[in-house]
Amino acid sequence: MMKEMPKTIALLSTVAALALAAAAATAQTQTQTDGQSQDDQSATEQYLLDEPAPEPADNAAEVPSATEDADSGSMPATGAEAETAQAPEAAQTDSASQQQETNEAEAEHAQAAGHNEPHVEDVAFSFEGPFGKFDEHQLQRGLQVYTEVCSACHGMKFVSIRSLAQEGGPHLPEDQVRAYAAEFTVTDRETGEDRPGEPTDFFPKSSLPNAPDLSLMAKARAGFHGPYGTGISQLFKGIGGPEYIVAILNGYTGHEVEQAGTTFYENTAFAGGRIAMPPPLADGQVDFADGHANDVHHMAEDVAAFLMWAAEPDMMDRKRSGFVAVFFLGFLSVLLYLTNKRVWAPHKGKKKSA
Amino acid sequence: MAGIPHDHYKPASSIEKWLHDRLPIVGLLYDTLMIPTPKNLNWMWIWGIVLTFCLVLQIATGVVLAMHYTPHIDLAFASVEHIMRDVRGGYLLRYLHSNGASLFFLAVYLHIFRGLYYGSYKSPREVTWIIGMLIYLAMMATGFLGYVLPWGQMSFWGATVITGLFGAIPGIGEPIQTWLLGGPAVDNPTLNRFFSLHYLLPFVIAALVAVHIWAFHSTGNNNPTGVEVRRGSKAEAEKDTLPFWPYFVLKDLFALAVILTVFFAVVGFMPNYLGHPDNYTQANPLMTPAHIVPEWYYLPFYAILRAFTADVWVVQLVHFVTFGIVDAKFFGVLAMFGAIGVMLLVPWLDTSSVRSGRYRPLFKWWFALLCVDFVVLTWVGAQPAEGIYTWISLIGAAYWFTYFLVLLPLLGVIEKPLAPPATIEEDFNAHYGAAGSAAVKSAE
Repeated sequence: MMKEMPKTIALLSTVAALALAAAAATAQTQTQTDGQSQDDQSATEQYLLDEPAPEPADNAAEVPSATEDADSGSMPATGAEAETAQAPEAAQTDSASQQQETNEAEAEHAQAAGHNEPHVEDVAFSFEGPFGKFDEHQLQRGLQVYTEVCSACHGMKFVSIRSLAQEGGPHLPEDQVRAYAAEFTVTDRETGEDRPGEPTDFFPKSSLPNAPDLSLMAKARAGFHGPYGTGISQLFKGIGGPEYIVAILNGYTGHEVEQAGTTFYENTAFAGGRIAMPPPLADGQVDFADGHANDVHHMAEDVAAFLMWAAEPDMMDRKRSGFVAVFFLGFLSVLLYLTNKRVWAPHKGKKKSA
Repeated sequence: MAGIPHDHYKPASSIEKWLHDRLPIVGLLYDTLMIPTPKNLNWMWIWGIVLTFCLVLQIATGVVLAMHYTPHIDLAFASVEHIMRDVRGGYLLRYLHSNGASLFFLAVYLHIFRGLYYGSYKSPREVTWIIGMLIYLAMMATGFLGYVLPWGQMSFWGATVITGLFGAIPGIGEPIQTWLLGGPAVDNPTLNRFFSLHYLLPFVIAALVAVHIWAFHSTGNNNPTGVEVRRGSKAEAEKDTLPFWPYFVLKDLFALAVILTVFFAVVGFMPNYLGHPDNYTQANPLMTPAHIVPEWYYLPFYAILRAFTADVWVVQLVHFVTFGIVDAKFFGVLAMFGAIGVMLLVPWLDTSSVRSGRYRPLFKWWFALLCVDFVVLTWVGAQPAEGIYTWISLIGAAYWFTYFLVLLPLLGVIEKPLAPPATIEEDFNAHYGAAGSAAVKSAE
């Protein structure tokens, strides 16, 4: 027994060293406050000042009917992306997905009659699954759709403008991020005066009081629950937030309903079937510099991908940490298995069949 | 410690002797680590280590999260997003903490059901069992308090529903609810005290865990046969046991590493799978979510809470007998706490002379049905309380109580148990061959 001990200890120390390596590589738990503390603090102050926008009790009224300034030029243009955005591979798949889209449109028309069951189609996003990655170009197009269309009413108050430069995100060059930020006018929290925005500022909050903030929309909605409410499909397809966004943007049947002086729009993806937000997208509304298809379905996919990034900006880092952790812990498991087997061996004979 | 005879720590050097005379702490650690452990423990005996790890993980990640979190209704949600976006590694800390709670509860359920099958609650381990149930209750409270802190929609409405349970107590209910909330409704005082208690309770759990371990180190571990370790002499005890270090430490660490591999895959690749999307919407007292669903680990008891509606005859009978004091809502609350209460009483409800379920031919089947029942209750707790689901939860709840209150006392009387092996050594050799012990003798 005692002779075995040095070997055991040697094996154990290897195991311990690996455990430490795994911890160091994956945890990254040094919390960083320096450098960012100032904008963090100002962000926090912003929420202190904000009155929480009371949403109407009727959750069908997600957005009131005002969209007059949907195309107004008050929002920054994203010409900045023009140079960087190139997506040849995306163009190739266009015809196929267009075909699919017409099928979906027909399916939705069929659904429109009984619109009580929210209808969400699966979309094969590039960022799904452990190996999935955000498509930089898609995120940049999505940012453009967000800027030119969504931001007229909606805000993204938790997303910092500097994060647009983040690798594993839209990855815009620093100067373009600075130019993008400068399009906003921000009231400085220290001087109280208006100044052009800086990358350390955050996206504005919703300009319409009851248009929901989009920072977390892709995580705050579920696209799938099936089969039979077990949620098993979510294991393979994700929670389905981006799919839900695509479905909402494509779910309009064209019918309008007047209710208590408010116009509601029939939508196959919205719970209850009627949404207060008028159809925000029309074919060809946004011109992409990379020449990517700009029909409603493609724009919806792009903006949904962008909102997924906005909701989970560190998703790529997270998956990388996941792989490092699984690899090291898997290896550690093997070593511990062998150690355990060896230590127990003298006490176990051959295992009997029963 | 332990009634099982074994070698104790002997201070060798003069420094060790000096310390040992003043504080025998090294001896305490030595005896704890070298405790004779039944050598036939199977893989269901690993959950204790997993649970200990979970507690440490939750405290370690939680302490750092608390450095960046702000318990104020206007700031809490934003501060969680601050952790997710601006604190380096913050998203990992938070996902480890939120999924860590799920691993904690998964492990505790497996640990409890292992105890129920192998009769770990039976004499002389009743105190270990009761302390364990207290730990479980403290875990439920801590998990609930923690879920309120991000101040999302489910946080707010979950807090409203659960504190409302106390409001269902006749007469004193409403003052208790107001006292818990710090006001008439869930608001800033609620969030503040929940944060304080969420930080406090894990340390209470840690203390209870120490007592839990102390208790079963005094009685010795149970084992799959339920047969006690022979204690006549050290040599006899050594035939049935092996020291905890290194044999069981390594076995447990191996199991822990495998479980953590899966755990980190969940954290890395699907960290929101077990959460609820509504909790990524800031709490809004004016907008009730379509379905208020608790976290998965409360669902079995949530199903029992909802099972007893006013149209169930038992509820109507109790309502009549108590002159209307116990209404359907209060009945549901009593049933939910009663479902945990019957587990607490199980050492006295089980009348069988045999400890381990392995040698109880009838018990086995009813126990298997209890496991199925638990899974069904978990599933039905997440379904809307309507149609067929109310029936399923009622049947599930009924079986839960029947198992503990009728079947356990009855089976001990009517069942004819098989004969357990005479010793643990016999059981061990039946699995691994007598060659095992021969090899030990030659090695020694």
